[in-house]
Order: sequence, then structure tokens, then C-alpha cells
Amino acid sequence: MTAPLSLAPRLDLPAASPLSEAIRASKGQALNLDAGNVAHLGGLCLQVLLAAAASWRAAGQTLRINPRSQAFEDAVAMFGLAPAQLESEGEA
Amino acid sequence: MTHDPMAEIRASFFVECEELLESLQDALSVMADHLEGDGAQDTETINVVFRAVHSIKGGAGAFGLTALVSFAHRFETVMDELRCGRLVVDHDAMKLFFQAADMLADHVRLARDDASGSPPGSETLLIAVEGLMGERAPEAEEEEVEFAPMGLSFDLALPDLGGDPDGTAPAPAEPDMGGHSWTVRLRPFDTLYASGNEPFHLLRALSELGSASITCDMSMLPEFDALMPETSHLIWTVQLTGDIEESDIRAVFDFVEDVAEITIIEGSDSAASVHAPADAAAPDAPVAAAPAPLAPALPVPEALPVIDQAADQPADTGPVRPSPPAAQAAIPAPQAAAPSEAVAATVRVDLDRIDRLVNLVGELVINQAMLAQSVTEAGLPANSAVMNGLEAFMMLTRDIQDSVMMIRAQPVKPLFQRMARIVREASAAVGKEVRLRSEGEGTEVDKTVIERLADPLTHMIRNAVDHGLETPDRRREAGKPDEGVVTLSAQHRSGRVVIEVADDGAGIDRPRVRDIAIRKGLVAPEAVLSDAEIDNLLFLPGFSTASQISSLSGRGVGMDVVKQAISALGGRIAITSERGRGTRFSISLPLTLAVLDGMVVRVAGETLVIPLSSIVETATLAAEDIRSLGPETNVIHIRGGFVPLFDLGTELGYRGPKASYEGGIVLLTAQEDGSRAALVVDEILEQRQVVIKGLQHSYGNIPGVAAATILGDGQIALILDPGDLVENATGRTRSADTLLALAG
Repeated sequence: MTAPLSLAPRLDLPAASPLSEAIRASKGQALNLDAGNVAHLGGLCLQVLLAAAASWRAAGQTLRINPRSQAFEDAVAMFGLAPAQLESEGEA
Repeated sequence: MTHDPMAEIRASFFVECEELLESLQDALSVMADHLEGDGAQDTETINVVFRAVHSIKGGAGAFGLTALVSFAHRFETVMDELRCGRLVVDHDAMKLFFQAADMLADHVRLARDDASGSPPGSETLLIAVEGLMGERAPEAEEEEVEFAPMGLSFDLALPDLGGDPDGTAPAPAEPDMGGHSWTVRLRPFDTLYASGNEPFHLLRALSELGSASITCDMSMLPEFDALMPETSHLIWTVQLTGDIEESDIRAVFDFVEDVAEITIIEGSDSAASVHAPADAAAPDAPVAAAPAPLAPALPVPEALPVIDQAADQPADTGPVRPSPPAAQAAIPAPQAAAPSEAVAATVRVDLDRIDRLVNLVGELVINQAMLAQSVTEAGLPANSAVMNGLEAFMMLTRDIQDSVMMIRAQPVKPLFQRMARIVREASAAVGKEVRLRSEGEGTEVDKTVIERLADPLTHMIRNAVDHGLETPDRRREAGKPDEGVVTLSAQHRSGRVVIEVADDGAGIDRPRVRDIAIRKGLVAPEAVLSDAEIDNLLFLPGFSTASQISSLSGRGVGMDVVKQAISALGGRIAITSERGRGTRFSISLPLTLAVLDGMVVRVAGETLVIPLSSIVETATLAAEDIRSLGPETNVIHIRGGFVPLFDLGTELGYRGPKASYEGGIVLLTAQEDGSRAALVVDEILEQRQVVIKGLQHSYGNIPGVAAATILGDGQIALILDPGDLVENATGRTRSADTLLALAG
């Protein structure tokens, strides 16, 4: 069962706490993040996503970001990262 | 919220822009001079031009000001051609560069005012400027400045990441592009985010400088459950290669220096082992145990120091256990690692703070006067320790005051540069060739004065170009070169600053001025006027000599407005003109609007201050000095001339005219135009510096009163403006009673 979660278009400082809360609420289950509308990905929300991916990975759960807007992908690249680092494959 | 850090950073960017625009103008002027001279351009000057445009572009990029970035980018491209020697500067090119610099200033202003789009004519001008490149002109420059493609790598040692995804390998060495390579490390503080900045913009700006390989260090990132979403944990390292100067990199961080730790190291960062492979990165021993082989202060420029910041990460953190190479990036790189930079010669301070300081010093001066008064009243002997101490204290206060006033003083250069633009635009509008010569740009004047001079000076410069200078044909007839010269100069003269606008035009056509004044009913047809009086007619409201209304002037808003503005600054304006040789307007202004030397006088029981600068001399009236003129007015005979007599007490409404002024004290005042007046006072108390406290906010403009001050005894005294007072004076120095007395 994958809980869908749609990401806000502007993932900046004001969005970081709500994003963290929203992801935390899905803890323990597979999670799919919809980044299709993301126009701006800031450093703080990037941290949340990275930490969440690590946490999901540690728990052996799946976390996917799909779809991903071009802006999202560009930003991840600009931050020197690959989208895979924001995801968790899960064990199952 | 009253405090918006983002707005502050933005504001400081625009302040920076003003400075850059100033150096751009400077460098262009130097180029123009070279062109006039031997035609050879010096590379450093061209570099200054390039760097100024480039820095504006860089800063604008960080704020997402696309129109500004785009303009600066295209302008910069042309300047780059120039820098590479592929473009030769000629007269027309120089003109275009100046126009482009003006346009860039307009772009900056638009961006500052949050307006979108480009100023009118921007694209046309760009095309013209790009036309200088001839065949090499970019066919269609993209609106958005693309950044260079870059290699991606990351260095996080995540044991359970599985395999080796695309990141753990070291970043491929960038091909040597013949330029420098740099390692830039960016560690944002929480405040960077809190102030509305984003590392994203900075990284993008960096990557636009050349070929960039960006690495994200996640070693400081806590576990998800422990993550405070608004705390900064990520650190980026950017390997930059290309024709990049350190100043270019620094420019990117201009507005975030205080909110991030930035380390810039020349050379690629292999020594710092940022890209250490993952398998070497997870020693079993807790990193904390490592005795920090490299001390934080290690002055090794090639290596980022390794610090055991990881000590506060528990060893059993699990998957995100930091690896030593990653941990090295965790702590501020010590100053020693940063390339030594010349000590900043200036500090940018908020004007409000300086104003507060000025006000406080004003209070200090008042307080010191009060103290002096109490000491005097206590009747202590003149050479007592208290008196000596007080004297030293007074000198110190004076020094502090002078120094504080100096902080506010700024060179008039930026103002003069704005005027250079006015000349360019005005001369283009009326089809005259005009060169602006400026002298004394380094002259320092109180900032408030400078700001308020812009409008009057603009007007005067336009006047000089439009009315002062002749058309090229007329100039040739008069044996002058086609190109007219407008000289703008500033200098300090006896405690005041004198700014002059002079042209080498035809001079004032006095008979015509007189005719116009008569036609407009400003003077009586039979009036006999001296040259100076005729010249001063130009300052009368509604006077305009332009026989036809040009696009610049002649709409009746004339020199009277200029005069008003100058008097509002406590200044005076004068004209001198020589037929066929030109006209010169001199503005004389107080150096500061905060303190003035004044004469403290008593009139009808009131204490008043008269600016010392307007007093020529003081005298005691003898009976034979006073001559009556008309039923209510007197003049005095002094130094072979007659000067109208004004009773300050009467003019200010404190009392009626006195029965006799014999033995009375008069202050002889003089205006810039040479007109004099004698003011009767009851007593001269002292001569001293007074702190100006404006009344305009509370009471508006009061005729004859410039401001107020607080005296040593706490009393408030009005500071008079003799020129204004005399202009509005009734001149009554005799009343019906006196007439009767005389008759009787």
C-alpha cells in the first residue's frame, strides 16, 4: 500500500516543516511523493527528503518520488545529487 | 514582522550595484579619455568595465532578476570581445557603451523598484551594441542565461545504499580549460535560509562562472526523526574550472557572506579528499576517537582541515554514520584557509544608525553647553581643575562632532556621474555636441545635501546645455569648437562647499533678459538695472528666456525652483556671465545640515541664532547713520553705501518699531548676490556652534526661520534665515508714533 503525497510547488523554508510533518505521518509504510508540480526545491526541503529517504531505507520501506517535474530534477542535479538518493528501494 | 532580512540583503545588493555602476562610469570615462588621447586602451580599465557588468549580473542572478541578468549578460559579452582585443573602440562605440551603462543603471533601478520587464529602448540599444561585434554578434541570444553543464558526484557513505550508484566515484577531472580551477565550499547557516536565500541560486550562479562539478555533503544530516526542518545541515563543494578570478566567485557570495561559511581555495581539491571512495569511508572506530590530526587553524591552503566535528554524532547512529572525509567538511574552515584578502577599506553602515549617532552627538554638544553653563554659574575660578577639564571636554566634543559629521560626508562623485548622463541625454535631445568636465569629484559633502542637490543640478545642467550653449553653427561663427563644454565643479571654500555649473556658451543676453522681464511685467520698463540685477531676473518665478519650448526646458519651471531648493538647503546661488564667454552658476552650501556656527542674539527678550556665514559685520548705530526713507522705513549709511534697516523684533512680531535706533546694535548681513541688509538686535550674546533641529516636520516652512536649536540652558532658540527674512520683511522701523514724535 503506497500512500500518495503531493508536494507543494514551492519547497522553500516555509514548506520545510509541513513537508517533514506530512512525511512523518506516513512513517512505517511505503510512500510515493508526487513532485510533478514542484517549481522550486530549496535546500531545507531537500534535507527533509534526503533524511526521509535514509530513514525509509533503514526501515527497508519503499519511498519513491514520481512524477518529478523538470524543475525538481534540475534542482536535484544542481544540488549535486541524483534522484535515487532521495528514494528508497525497499526490501519487498 | 517589521524586520525583513531578505529585503535587507536585496537592498544591500542594490547599494552594491550603485557602486559598481559608479566604477563602470569611471572606467568608461577613462576609456573615453584614452580615445581622445592616443586612442590606445589599457586592459585594466576594460577589465574594470567588464567586472562591474559581470558582478551586477552575478548578484542579479542570485535574486532571480532575469531582465537585469539578461541585459548584463549581453552587455558583458560585448565587453568580453573588447577585453579579448577583438573589438576596437571608436567614438561611436564609446557612445554606445555609455548608453548601455545608462541602460544598465535603468535596469537596476527597475529591478530595485520591483518592476518587471525592461526599460524602453533596451532591446534596440542591445542590438546596436551587439552590432559592434559585427559578424560575431550572437544571432539569437537566449533570454535565459544557461548554465554550463556539469559533472555530478556525491560522497555520502551510505552502507545500505546498495552498490555504487552514480555518485560515489570521484568527480571526473575537468579538462583543463586553460583557466583556473577553484574549490569552493559553501556551508549555509540557518540564517541563510531564514533570510530568504537559497543555496540553489548560489550554486547556479557558481556553475555559470565556468565548468562546475557540485558535490553535496550530507554527513551532517541527522536522522529523519531528529531533523529540525529549518536547521541547515547540508554542505556543498563546487569544483570550478574556467577563466575565473577569485573576485568572480566572491561576487556570487556578496550578499550571503554573513549567513554562510564560504571557503574558496585555488586548485582542485584532491588533497582534501572530498571524493574519497565510499569503501574507505567507514572505519569501525568512532571518528570521535581520532585525535584530529589536522588542527582547525592549520594554515594549509591546499587542504580543507579535518575536524572531529563528528564527535557529537553517536557512533551507533547507524546508516548515516559520518565518514572522516565527509566529516572534514563539517566545521568552519578557519580563516587561515581562506585566501588572505586585503583588509576592507570601507564599512557599509545603515544611514539610520549614522543619523542616530549624529543626533546623539548633537545632544552631547547641547549637554556640554549646559554643563559649561552650570560650571560658570557655580562661579569657579577660571583655572580650576573643573574648568580645565571642561575645556578639554569641549575640545573633545568638537572633535567627535567633526568626526561624526565626516562619516556622513560623501564624495559628490556619484552625483556628478548622474549629471554626466543628464548631459548625454540633454545634448542628444537638442542636437548639440557637449562634453561634461567635472572637477573636484572627491569633494565631500553631507549625504543629505548630496541627495537634495540632484534635482537642482539636473535642472541647471539641462539649462546649460539647452540655453547656455549655442548651436554648433553659432559656435563655429563665434570661432569656438563645435563641441560645447559644461564644467561641473565642487570645492570646499571657507567652511562651505561651492558647486559650480559653467558653460562656455554665449553668456546671458542681458538686453533680451531685460526685455522679457519687462514684457512679462516682472520689472518696470523704466527701471535701471545693474548687470547683476538683470542676471538675477533669471531666478524670478515664471521667467523663461527660451523663445521656443524645447523638449528640455522653457516650460516656465525655471531657475526659481532651483533657487528655492538651494535655499531650502541653507545655500545660496549666484550667477556670473560674460557675453560670448559663458555663464557660471555658483551654489554655496553649508557642509552639513546638522550643526552651524551661529551668533546668539537677544531681541525683545527672545534668544535667536543667526548663521555666522551670513553676517558680514556688526556695528553700533550712531544717530547720523540712520536716514529715513519713506514713511515707515529707514536705511543706514555704512561704509559709503546705504543699507535697508530691519528691526528683528518688529519683523518677527515681538514688538513694534522702536522710537529710536540710536546706539542700537546691527548685524550687517550679505546675500550671495551682494545685496545687504542691516538687522537690529538688542544684544549680542555669544558666537557658538549650534545643533540644528529641524522644524519642518512639525511646523512646515516658516518664512525667515531656518530651524531651531537647544541652548546650553535648555532654552530653545530659533535659527533665522536672514535672506528669507529680509525678502519677506516689511522694513518697518518707524511707526506712526515715532512720526508723531518727530513731528512734535
